[in-house]
Amino acid sequence: MNFFKRAWLNVWAKKGRSVLLILVSSAILMFVLAGLLIRSAAVKATDQAKADVGATVTLSANRQAAFKKMQSSSSSTSKSSRPKMTLTPVKLSDATKISKLSNVKSTNVTSSTTVNAKSYDVVSTSTGMGSSNGGPGGMKSSASTGDTQIDGVTATSLTTAFSNSQSKITKGRGITAADKNTHNVVIENDLASQNDLTVGDTITVKEIAGDKAKVKLKVVGIYKASSTSTSASPMSADPANTMYTSYTLANTFKGSKYANTADSVTFNISNPAKVSSVKKAGKQLINTSKYALSTDDASYQTVKASMANVKSFANKIVWLVAIAGTIILALIVILMIRERRFEIGVLLSLGEARWKIMAQFFTEMLMVIVVAVAIAGAGGKFVGDQLGSQLVSQSTTTQTTATSSTGQPGGSGQPGGNGTRGGAGGPGSTTSTTSAKAADTDLDINVSAVDLAELGGFGLAITFLSIMIASGGILRLEPKKVLIS
Amino acid sequence: MLKTEGLGYWYQDKSEPLFQDINLTFEVGQSYAILGHSGTGKTTFLSLIAGLDKPKAGDILLDDRSLKKIGLTTYRRHDVSIVFQAYNLFTYMSPLNNLLTAMAITDAEHAGDKHFALRTLNDLGINEDLATRNVQHLSGGQQQRVAIARTMACDAQLVVADEPTGNLDEDNTKEVIAQFQKIAHDRQKCVIIVTHEPDVAAQCDHQYRLENKQFTQLA
Ligand SMILES: Nc1ncnc2c1ncn2[C@@H]1O[C@H](COP(=O)(O)OP(=O)(O)O)[C@@H](O)[C@H]1O
Ligand SMILES: [Mg+2]
Repeated sequence: MNFFKRAWLNVWAKKGRSVLLILVSSAILMFVLAGLLIRSAAVKATDQAKADVGATVTLSANRQAAFKKMQSSSSSTSKSSRPKMTLTPVKLSDATKISKLSNVKSTNVTSSTTVNAKSYDVVSTSTGMGSSNGGPGGMKSSASTGDTQIDGVTATSLTTAFSNSQSKITKGRGITAADKNTHNVVIENDLASQNDLTVGDTITVKEIAGDKAKVKLKVVGIYKASSTSTSASPMSADPANTMYTSYTLANTFKGSKYANTADSVTFNISNPAKVSSVKKAGKQLINTSKYALSTDDASYQTVKASMANVKSFANKIVWLVAIAGTIILALIVILMIRERRFEIGVLLSLGEARWKIMAQFFTEMLMVIVVAVAIAGAGGKFVGDQLGSQLVSQSTTTQTTATSSTGQPGGSGQPGGNGTRGGAGGPGSTTSTTSAKAADTDLDINVSAVDLAELGGFGLAITFLSIMIASGGILRLEPKKVLIS
Repeated sequence: MLKTEGLGYWYQDKSEPLFQDINLTFEVGQSYAILGHSGTGKTTFLSLIAGLDKPKAGDILLDDRSLKKIGLTTYRRHDVSIVFQAYNLFTYMSPLNNLLTAMAITDAEHAGDKHFALRTLNDLGINEDLATRNVQHLSGGQQQRVAIARTMACDAQLVVADEPTGNLDEDNTKEVIAQFQKIAHDRQKCVIIVTHEPDVAAQCDHQYRLENKQFTQLA
């Protein structure tokens, strides 16, 4: 393999040219690597988003079907009697069946109603612009409404308000599954301070429905609601007047026929990609004319879309740089072959095969590329970091704009290498994550052995192709014309 | 060993050949000079014999085998060794590596033998110090001696040279021609030198003149 030795002698003897070639190749490969790194980081981030970002399936009454039924009955009956839209409360037995499907991580039953304050004074909003806290959309089952909103849940930690930190427990504890069938309650901070209530105190409320009984409740925790409520509605009460209880207690307030029912049941899905399959399987288990299953994986879709953007951009970088790099190197090799046509002529006059001359050039470039891969491997992380954070902040901004324009309350998903925390989606949705860190927008850029191997592959391909493109110069070269003037 | 049969060559116009119907024979152990004015076609003739180009008419036979049959690349690798006016050495190598490279490409008997290469160079006045420097740091005469050493280190029976003394002074010219004589007589090769200098031609065993599209042997 004499061409190998020749290649080495040439690369070594022409150090200046070799260094220049190494620099050019390093620059090309650095961008290829940056693209590869961003792409693999985007894949990783998307995978992580699947694990981190919540997605939910909610079981509730089928409003559309009920509305249709109301319309048809209104046309058949006399116009004087107003038709009533009857919504069937969700049966807990149905919810239990769905909760046993695979990929269902946790289940939150919500049942809301109102009661009237007895032993305490409600907080009144002077502006009259108070708003409900955007909690589970409850069906107001009674025509008359009490001054205290009761949000019955399985656990407060499973609700949207608490999971995305709009509300926080400040004293005591939240409602948990263990509070089922108890009279434990979690009240708002403003209500507590106005009435001098603290954890352990007992309050009394008066039912609106049924026998209008007085019920004693035990305060087990105090929460602070975020004041930034969005949907202002003059009719609704101050958010401070919302109490959390177990859904069983809320059902009791509503009346005995509401036992083992719920307004809606929200299922947290462990793998957001599986949301639609859970919905499909769930539909088999319920009476779809009465109940509906809705999905919310907006946060996941946001992260997924923004990472897909990053990924496709990274792919474009890889291929554009690879193609541009091949062309640049090919041009350099073409010039190099011109400059060395005497040498090629001598080799041909000695009877060297043309393919071995090409092999010599290929080997020379390969020696250059090996060094360039090492340099690019060291520098690619830097370029990838810069480019990656630039890309992510851009695509995040785009995604946030897109999300907010759809009018969804709650922050958009914030993709990030070690975070990819998704904020809340629409009302009634619940995310399993706790915080949305706006500052954490870095992709996790790391040069792995696989990345380096892939880079080496690209280097090899670029070298091979550029030599192939330039090889016409060797194949056409006539030693007589070169050597004999 | 080498024979031309009805050899003819022209560049553009067939009716204006450089030479036509040439029948010559070259033997091992002999040196031949080809004289002629500038532009008569000496170099063109040599390029055919060296296997760098194909004849337009006739044929060239090596030991009765046509070069077409042998294949020009194989012929150049094994059977012919060329010395150029411009030396044409590998500029990025030392004289030693120039020899080793040529020996490796031509599958020479001594391929890879560094000591043989150094000895060959030393015989031509290139000592080890010169032999391991970059070849561009040598004088013209020294470089041409390296080129001659290269033909000696390879096993080709046929050595062709195009104006090998064209860039050399009187002393170096004498030395180089003496070396070509040695190659022919001591190493039993066939040496064909193209030159326009009668003094140089006079030192060879046989002289031909290319004139009016024909080769004529001088007495
Ligand atoms: N590649 C070529 N194309 C056309 N004409 C050529 C070419 N090479 C040489 N010639 C012409 O052929 C003639 C012979 O050239 P050459 O063999 O180099 O002569 P010499 O070596 O005797 O000086 C010259 O007139 C030259 O101009
Ligand atoms: Mg000439």
